[in-house]
Amino acid sequence: MREAAIVGIGRTALTRSSGRSVLAQAAEAARAAIADAGLGAADVDGMCSFQASDSILGYELADAIGIDELRWNRDLFGGGNLAASIVMSAALAVSAGLCETAVVFRAMNGRSGFRFGTAQGRTILARGEMQFQAPQGYVAPPQWMAMWARRHQAVYGSTCEDLGQIAIVHNRHAAANPHALARKPLTMDAYLAARWIHEPLRLYDCAFEADGAVALVVTTAERARDLPHQPVRIRGHAESSRKGGSWDQWPDTTEMCSASVAPRLWASTGLAPKDIDVACIYDCFTYSAMVGLEDYGFCERGAVGRFYAEGRATYGGDVVVNPHGGLLAEGYLHGFNHHYEAILQLRRDAGARQVEDARVALVTAGAGPVGGGILYTREDA
Amino acid sequence: MSLEAFETPPQPAPDFDSEGFWRATAEGRLALCRCRECRTWLQPPLERCKRCAGPTGFEPVSGRGTIYSFIVSRHPCCPGYLDATPYVVALIDLEEQEGLRLPARLLDVEPAAVRIGDRAIVAITDLPGGDFRIPTFRIVAAPDV
Repeated sequence: MREAAIVGIGRTALTRSSGRSVLAQAAEAARAAIADAGLGAADVDGMCSFQASDSILGYELADAIGIDELRWNRDLFGGGNLAASIVMSAALAVSAGLCETAVVFRAMNGRSGFRFGTAQGRTILARGEMQFQAPQGYVAPPQWMAMWARRHQAVYGSTCEDLGQIAIVHNRHAAANPHALARKPLTMDAYLAARWIHEPLRLYDCAFEADGAVALVVTTAERARDLPHQPVRIRGHAESSRKGGSWDQWPDTTEMCSASVAPRLWASTGLAPKDIDVACIYDCFTYSAMVGLEDYGFCERGAVGRFYAEGRATYGGDVVVNPHGGLLAEGYLHGFNHHYEAILQLRRDAGARQVEDARVALVTAGAGPVGGGILYTREDA
Repeated sequence: MSLEAFETPPQPAPDFDSEGFWRATAEGRLALCRCRECRTWLQPPLERCKRCAGPTGFEPVSGRGTIYSFIVSRHPCCPGYLDATPYVVALIDLEEQEGLRLPARLLDVEPAAVRIGDRAIVAITDLPGGDFRIPTFRIVAAPDV
């Protein structure tokens, strides 16, 4: 099979109220990524995305940017658990020769349009497993995360201050990122003084919802050599779907899908946490970053607060976690902005927030029972 | 559609697998799905057992359990509960089987007094906005009630 590489990245501004269609934003990000790759729309014959009935389809995007025909198109249905899987799917399609060059994207009006934090249309008449949750007033991701965080606090002695350390560092990182929505420094006093959302989670434990789009271009490694940027390879990928994707019917909610993904990702690549320069950990909430870091083995269970407080999650420490500010502070583009950042860092084009000599980046996707992870390396690494 | 447009809570949409659950709560009972062959309890309910593929039916449960975890919901995010904050939602592990778990609101509790491991007992409650009744729970004072 042919090897694949990521050769282009593009994005729109992240905003709180775009005033634009999702399709228009997807087209802007895709055009930017294709131009960044030194290619034209006519070179693109594949598309891959994921959505939760809140976005546009791959062939709609293709048409919007003047691509007559796609040879390969996959629109996956789901949440941030798929943010790594779409990149791997496109790489596999390129490797298998199903297409030559694919655009991988996520586009949404996640703040001004469909919001995940509230009950909307489909939960008003609650079907499936939601019929047991929604009538109880239990409908939204921050409620599920708070439920797991409370259990974690009881079992491992983690604290709200530990969660606050995560929020503080990710917000500090965002200050150096002109794309970030939240760029003001956050103190522990301000973190603790912010209003409760669902105890034990407060305002700054929650992702900064955003409108916008991000796109990557994937093509063959052979073709990548003639393109303008340092190609980035996928060193490994793993994913896990457990317990029917249920938010509460899994035995131990103090771990996540990453408890299964991480050992497979490390074993299949021969890499370990010590090899990671940049870790874009899925921080839709501080709590998912906490457990992600534990599951991947960056630190012991219950020790994440200290890990952050001692400077081990930032520049000069063990690994730089979410140098762009993550979903907490750059913005919540359902985890796909993590991939843009990882590629940018490995190209060493991240400017003021560049992680020195970045060679290997981990990007995790999803929280709870379903998700995945991907390891990117520079081709010359 | 703003949340305010909905004054009543989300209503369950019973399906072929779950109608026995809602029929029981309508009669004031908590009954869960159980395999007639291997006797495993299943939540959510299913036509066939996920372990042995045996036929299932609904059987009454004690309604007693312990609090696996809980939250105090303070941000209005759900129709019908917009003026009800703060309210407490817990995951209740029922005593019939390890990990047999229901999400449920806790009634008549002081949020600060709730603890993981507290024992709770079901209280079937009317759900505003329709004819459904739902399983909510109350904390029981004595540890072995």
